[in-house]
Amino acid sequence: MIKHLKQLTTALACLTVMAAAPTQAQDIKVGALYPFSGGLALLGDESFRGAEMAVEEKNANGGINGKKIVLVKADAVDANQAVGEARRLTSVENVSAIFGSYASGVSSAATQVTELAGVPYFELGAVADTITGRGFKYLFRSNATAKSFADRSIESIFKVIAPTLKVDPKALKIAIIYEDGPYGTLVGGFQKESAKQLGLNVVEAQAYSAKSVDLSSLVLRLKGSGADVVLQTSYQNDTLLFFRQSASAGYKPKAVIGAGGGYSLQETAQALGASIDGVFNVDFPQISMKEDGAPGLKSFVEAYQKRYGTQPRSGHSLVNYVGAKAFLEVMVDAKSSDKDKIRAAALAYKKPVGSSAAGWGFQFGENGQNQLASSNLMQWQGGKLLTVFPESVATAKPIVAK
Amino acid sequence: MSIFIQLLINGLLLGGAYAIISIGLTLIFGVVRVVNFAHGEFLMIGMYAVWLLAQYAGLHPYASAVLVAILLFFFGALMQRLVIQPLLTADAHIQIFATVGVSTALLNLALMVFGADIRKAEVTLGTEQLLVGSLNFVSGQVITLVIAMAVAVGMHMFLKNTYTGRGFRALAQNRVSAALMGVNVNKAYVLAFGIGAGLVGLASGLLAVQYPVFPTVGQYFVLTAFVIVVLGGMGSLPGAVVGSLFIGLIDSLAGYYVGPALKEVVYFLVFLAILIVRPTGLFGLGRGSE
Repeated sequence: MIKHLKQLTTALACLTVMAAAPTQAQDIKVGALYPFSGGLALLGDESFRGAEMAVEEKNANGGINGKKIVLVKADAVDANQAVGEARRLTSVENVSAIFGSYASGVSSAATQVTELAGVPYFELGAVADTITGRGFKYLFRSNATAKSFADRSIESIFKVIAPTLKVDPKALKIAIIYEDGPYGTLVGGFQKESAKQLGLNVVEAQAYSAKSVDLSSLVLRLKGSGADVVLQTSYQNDTLLFFRQSASAGYKPKAVIGAGGGYSLQETAQALGASIDGVFNVDFPQISMKEDGAPGLKSFVEAYQKRYGTQPRSGHSLVNYVGAKAFLEVMVDAKSSDKDKIRAAALAYKKPVGSSAAGWGFQFGENGQNQLASSNLMQWQGGKLLTVFPESVATAKPIVAK
Repeated sequence: MSIFIQLLINGLLLGGAYAIISIGLTLIFGVVRVVNFAHGEFLMIGMYAVWLLAQYAGLHPYASAVLVAILLFFFGALMQRLVIQPLLTADAHIQIFATVGVSTALLNLALMVFGADIRKAEVTLGTEQLLVGSLNFVSGQVITLVIAMAVAVGMHMFLKNTYTGRGFRALAQNRVSAALMGVNVNKAYVLAFGIGAGLVGLASGLLAVQYPVFPTVGQYFVLTAFVIVVLGGMGSLPGAVVGSLFIGLIDSLAGYYVGPALKEVVYFLVFLAILIVRPTGLFGLGRGSE
């Protein structure tokens, strides 16, 4: 009996030590769930760099209440892998929170797992509005959503394009074209809705497959309908196809407005050459903004250059950096890795518009969505993507050829 | 009316691009009897090779097309010798998975080496606008169509008139009997696979003028190429050419008159209808073939 009791105490002692071990560790583990391989890898990695920089900066300044933050990378190229990796992060790695995820499909799937596991998920870049529309308690999103992209593009017709052309916006013929995946249908759908509400004359609204190798018939339709302004939501290859085939069909709309994706990338501009000049694009804030409206932008770009040896490849790193930085502050405020304390700290976290390096403010709604994040209108001018609207962060004046 | 003619022209020109890819695919299909799922990745590798040659050696894609065709010939021959040949007697599923494996490996290798960026060779020859009346052409598309037709005719002559070509046709009909008739099966397979891949190399040079290259570029073309090959009759050369032009036309006309979102629906419906009427495809060998 005594022997048994001894064994039991030893076992119990062991258990106590084992249970205590994680809390003794000086590190706070945070997951970084992005597509690091596969077709989304380029911008997935660019997004991760932003989160990585925010964490490194925080660690250099003493971490979270003296504890060092360790990023645990997880590669999620699609919804299936996202579920698997989210499970690994929450149950094997026991992370305190997860940063992610660039792609909306990845985010939607991963958050199903983290919500059940009660691990806070900080979304820094996925734009599908549905992600924060499911009543999740421990999901927070710092970035602007697809609806904001769509609204900004329609607003631009009223506030930038029509005034520069000196015409009534309702006299302009608008074409809305979008790739038929979740990204395109979401943005394109909101654009159609908002254009209708505001009484714009939409002459064509067409979806097409982003894997299409020929858009000449779509271009002929737009040409036939005489569309003045084309809103395209697309990836790289279809953006290129549209421009190349518009040129060969002799179709030249007065203005083209992209919605991020292929329109934001330097490689697209390189491949298109001179024909990208004057093209508009609505996207997350990019590095070409006025410092006044985006304090800390310059030092971010310098730090990025030093860390990775190149200029940021897109605005994704910036918004991920800004979002991650805010959420790390939320974790500091929460003074605990308890999910409810983190939620309370997130809901209490408020920063005015124009206070972050992306120009965003922070104020989280009950659904976890940041209500003070927005997108900007940019224009390719002389091979550079410059911000032209809103004026608080604009670095150039919009040019519309008459 | 001029729109309709323009759509016909666009369709035929697009068909030319499909044809040059499908000819190689149908040859491998017909002779080696392997569904080569890595075909698209061959195209991708070819296009990267073309881009590298343009970027660093200043070669025009049309000039490097021949070099890349030779490169891919060896690549295809090696794949047949090292991957497919050991599995020849295995179940067809195993062979398919082997080619899928090669495809996935190549795709991710390209992602590792080149990243997901698009790359485009900067050229002028092949991108000029040609204007005939109110009709628009792009010179490169016309060149692609012409070369595709020339290759098809050349391949046809080769299969009809040479000993090796007749060997290929014998193999397509019945592998065992062909071996009994003195065809060196393994050697012919390596050669057929090599030629099939080599034609993709040629296609890479022609397409690189119009399209940028990125790791998944092959998959954009190859799904359609599979449809074309089945539609035309597996292993049938004229079938591949007619199928390509046919799909190109449907793509163009349906994209305009039905809507770009539904053009795939239209051509898959036509595809199904044809298969219901002719299960072996337009120019299929019939139920008797292997």
